Amino acid sequence: MAMFDKHKNTKQPPQREEDPMVTRQSPSVNTPPPAPGTVSKVAMVGDGISITGDVTANSNLKVEGRIEGRAVSSPQDIEVAESGVIKASITAKVVRIAGAVAGDISGSEKVVISRTGRVQGNIVAPRVQLDDGALFRGSIDMNPAEPAPVKKAAQAKPAADSRQATKAPVGAPGNKTAGTEAKKEPGLTLKSG
Amino acid sequence: MTATAKVLSVDEPSRPTGPIMSRHQSKLLSGLFRHVDAGHRLNVLEIGPALPETVEFFAQFRCRLHFVDLYNEPFLRDRQANLSEKEFRHCFEERFLFPADSRLDICLFGDFLSFLDDRALRAFNSALRPWIHPETRAHGFGVHHLAVKLEHHQYGIIDRDTLSIRSRHTDHMPYHPHSQVEMADMLNSFAFARGLLLPSGKLEMILKPKAV
Repeated sequence: MAMFDKHKNTKQPPQREEDPMVTRQSPSVNTPPPAPGTVSKVAMVGDGISITGDVTANSNLKVEGRIEGRAVSSPQDIEVAESGVIKASITAKVVRIAGAVAGDISGSEKVVISRTGRVQGNIVAPRVQLDDGALFRGSIDMNPAEPAPVKKAAQAKPAADSRQATKAPVGAPGNKTAGTEAKKEPGLTLKSG
Repeated sequence: MTATAKVLSVDEPSRPTGPIMSRHQSKLLSGLFRHVDAGHRLNVLEIGPALPETVEFFAQFRCRLHFVDLYNEPFLRDRQANLSEKEFRHCFEERFLFPADSRLDICLFGDFLSFLDDRALRAFNSALRPWIHPETRAHGFGVHHLAVKLEHHQYGIIDRDTLSIRSRHTDHMPYHPHSQVEMADMLNSFAFARGLLLPSGKLEMILKPKAV
């Protein structure tokens, strides 16, 4: 019973139905970074989801939807899936792109553009890998000897109250509803642009 | 993001790069790297799309690669007959917005020069001039005589002696072959350092800045 009580007491944002066509400005939401030694988690921006604003993840981040803003960052890895679109700069340890990106990319370890990837911007990374079929326009700054400087991911600010919880659908893949209720992903911060 | 790249619509469908069709063993390519200082950050201009083998090859260097794919520019593809030299120059300058303090060490022209008419070639020369320095070296292909028809190929670098050759999947540009004399006259920021006539009728060339 204690388990159920605990579950009941967990503050979950209320579920609301909203217009699935609406792309919302995303207020902030924060979760603490995963404790050391825990299994690496992946925050997800699911297919069909649109976010306007900056996104900071404290864990790995996979983008299957669309993000438009100034910056998307993580101290871990960022993956842009084939359906994913990012119009913002990206900063992470490893950046893998199978979708489309318009913006500068900084990878402290590596940047990989796979065969379906389309990128316009400038890349700074010690190693850059382009697969056959990848489309890239811009410049590539490589320095095999030293890691690229990576801006530290913005520190997540705790959400003040439930009104600040994001309406942006940072949710499960396949969720076609933009503007559904906040769903806390591991270590993900959204900042309205 | 600099204005080096023209706007790429992230929503446009991807055009696949053709596979490597063949390789060209080059006797001249290594000349590009003869002057390279290992501690120096190389600035490289590729007039063409970013190819996997080229990026992989340059990963051994501290470098900045600028990919300016002029083969796919509407102002060259569709309007070449209508623009003045000044207008061409402006178009090229808009695409050569490199960091102000940088100079190009290596330019990879491929066969691009044979797809520019006289005015465009002069304008290309003028727009590139501010970005070269005495140690700049350029590699490219021309034709030995004007009857030679260049295929629509794109070139990558596999190693210091080997170029990859792929078919180009972009819209074809008008063909304007130039004799070596014409080229020397219109591309007068550069002088021929070495040239090699290939069995196909192509002229492989290494260019260096013309001494002032």
